[in-house]
Amino acid sequence: MSTHHELPPDKHEKLVRAVRLEWFSIVYLITAITLLYFTLGNSQAMKAAWVEDILGLTPPIAFLVASRVRRRKPNDHFPYGYHRATAIAYLCASVALLALGAFILYDSASKLLKFEHPPIDLVKPFGDQPIWLGWLMLGALAYSTIPQVILGRLKQPLAKELNDKVLYADAEMNRADWLTGVAAMAGVVGIGFGLWWADSVAASIISVDIVRDGWKNLRVAVDDLMDKEPTVVDDARADPLPLWIKNELMLLAWVKDAEVRLREGGHVFMGEAFVVPVDNDDLVGRLERANRHLLDLDWRLHELVISPVSEINRPEPAGEDG
Amino acid sequence: MVLVAVALMAVAAAGCGIPRDPESTLDRVRGGTLRAGITASEPWTTLEGGRPGGVEVALVERFAEELGARVEWVDGSEADLIGALELRELDLVVGGLTADTPWQAKAAITRSYATTRVVVAVPASQPLPEDIAGMRVAVEAGTDAAGILEDKTDAIPVRVPDVTQVRGSAVAVDEWLLADLDLRDTGVHLSKVKHVMATPMGENAFLVRLERFLIAHQDEVPALLDAAEAGR
Repeated sequence: MSTHHELPPDKHEKLVRAVRLEWFSIVYLITAITLLYFTLGNSQAMKAAWVEDILGLTPPIAFLVASRVRRRKPNDHFPYGYHRATAIAYLCASVALLALGAFILYDSASKLLKFEHPPIDLVKPFGDQPIWLGWLMLGALAYSTIPQVILGRLKQPLAKELNDKVLYADAEMNRADWLTGVAAMAGVVGIGFGLWWADSVAASIISVDIVRDGWKNLRVAVDDLMDKEPTVVDDARADPLPLWIKNELMLLAWVKDAEVRLREGGHVFMGEAFVVPVDNDDLVGRLERANRHLLDLDWRLHELVISPVSEINRPEPAGEDG
Repeated sequence: MVLVAVALMAVAAAGCGIPRDPESTLDRVRGGTLRAGITASEPWTTLEGGRPGGVEVALVERFAEELGARVEWVDGSEADLIGALELRELDLVVGGLTADTPWQAKAAITRSYATTRVVVAVPASQPLPEDIAGMRVAVEAGTDAAGILEDKTDAIPVRVPDVTQVRGSAVAVDEWLLADLDLRDTGVHLSKVKHVMATPMGENAFLVRLERFLIAHQDEVPALLDAAEAGR
């Protein structure tokens, strides 16, 4: 058994950039959360946007924790290393996202059904000049939206390069934040024009978006914990790497039959290959050479155990929904 | 930059009347009738002989005057008045309401236009005590100040029906009465209360107009308090 280093040098530089971006995201989000907190008023839409920003902290934190934890070597207590720790943290965060989104959706819808008219009054933040809080809400929302969309655009190509699903989910959430911003602003402007329902409607839209984020992240986390087959970073299709490995093995003269199964551990893959050798000549040497060859195939292949077997039991193909 | 944009928007929008009322309260009151609910809470609101008086009544009458409106007073319990306000049968409720009112979910509460404190004071002729521990302090019976004095300080509360009738002893009294009663503040403050009014939920143009009026006139509150006290 042999393992790769986690990242090739050219990817390492990308990781450093991603880490820097995520640190920046956290600092920026904290300022945005603070600003929104002070301008919440009685607006339901502001509350929803605020909660979404708070929950937006979880992917960057999960990514940064993961980028540290994955440097830890496996030990005798945790022989498979620490990759799963992040998946568990991510699962918890996405459940929280889902639950809070559902709660805000319920809260906003019931306010709408009760014909609740949100009051927004004057504040005096700059000395003596009173100003309608709605204007400050719009300013706070602009601050909490525009940079996030830009950050999302910067993170997405890095996530693809690094094959990192947490980073990818984070980039997607950031990019989709324009919806939250525009909806919340429309809600506040609606209150300004005397449309009492605008606020609750906007809050409902935002909470549906939060629920959707939660659901998406929950699926990523559950798939990871269930050892689903590796997929490409945006989850659109299965990753071709297991097939490539199988083909390489089949191309070896001493291999009669081969099967490969891989699982994802953070941004890297690991797993087993089963081979049926034609004979037992120099079996150990052949296995070791094959292993080295395969690990050089793709940087994402972190660990591969090749087992010689006399015959292969292939798994059943999954149904349509698999 | 965002601040500048917000300020510009605010200036631009002030002209076209934003925020607006969903149910046009401000438009209806202007030049018409202001339906105000009152519940007695001296010195903020009084109903002597059924006639509304007090600090908040004076403020509301002046606010109505600015809008060219006539005030139609309705008296009742706080719960009744807030219930009517919630259904927009009233435009405004006064009655010594405070910022921590439990009616927040049923009514839009204004910014506070006055803050009052209950302080422990001694006659101006006496030296200020180092500490009020063990001191006998007169306090109005049946007030939260009496409870705070009992539970949160080491002073000995002596409950009296009217603290303004205590002469020559330490007394827990509203800060704004100190000069009238020739008392000095010991620096021990028992409670701080922010005074507010209630308007219908979501009638933001009306709420903002009232708040602008209250901000412009909050400096007159001490004089109104003195006048209310003198009228007793």
